[in-house]
Amino acid sequence: MNETQINLKTTVLDDGLGLISAAGYINNEGGQAVADAASELVGGGCQSLVIDLDGTRIINSIGVSILLEIMEKIMEGDGKLAFCNLTPTIAKTFEIMGLDQYAGIFPDREAAVTSFGTDGTA
Amino acid sequence: MEVVLHLPAVPNVELVAAKAVETLGEALGMDRNGIEAVSVALVEACLNAMEHGGSSFVVRLAGEDGVSPRMRVEVEDKGRGFDPDACPPDVSTRVHGCVSKRGWGLTLIRELMDDVQISSRPGLTRVRMWKELENAP
Repeated sequence: MNETQINLKTTVLDDGLGLISAAGYINNEGGQAVADAASELVGGGCQSLVIDLDGTRIINSIGVSILLEIMEKIMEGDGKLAFCNLTPTIAKTFEIMGLDQYAGIFPDREAAVTSFGTDGTA
Repeated sequence: MEVVLHLPAVPNVELVAAKAVETLGEALGMDRNGIEAVSVALVEACLNAMEHGGSSFVVRLAGEDGVSPRMRVEVEDKGRGFDPDACPPDVSTRVHGCVSKRGWGLTLIRELMDDVQISSRPGLTRVRMWKELENAP
């Protein structure tokens, strides 16, 4: 539960949709690593992103603030951001901090990808 | 049953406290969701202690019996202190386009835990919080 090193995997799906799988502690370093991965995908032509947090059990407010910044950059480019596989505590944290007002929250990766209208083959 | 940790203010030390919550929570029979809620709240309290508190701080964890058994979590530092009332719990105006996205720690603590008491003055800040063993987020 307390991995200090975040493990990231990025994938480009169909129709300009990027996928980031993040497992580990989302603090300032983990959040920044996700932000860097998001910037790379957006720079490579992905307008919208899915961030899969399966394997992430603990976060802090600084890390979530960085996720908020990712969300704002995606929205500035008329893209959309979705999260999936959140624990109940992370889902509640997102709700408290307002991410759920601007990003889609889905129970699993398939649902998140489907919301963008692609087949979701990762 | 009580756990007392004397922690230095070094990067990621809050995860040591979170691991203690996991161990004690399992021993007390707290479910996974409850343990994770307490862990996130404690991480925020530890970050506050490191930000405002100086070189070290103390974490105390304990199980409390009663009509509703619960876990008690306490974080104490000897730093400069802060005004807990200066951190408004209303978050509706603090999202998207606001000036700062920092300062969510106390809000998260209050929302994730069942009861919270904060006392702070220069030289002694104590955050005490409780989570019922069967009250997940």
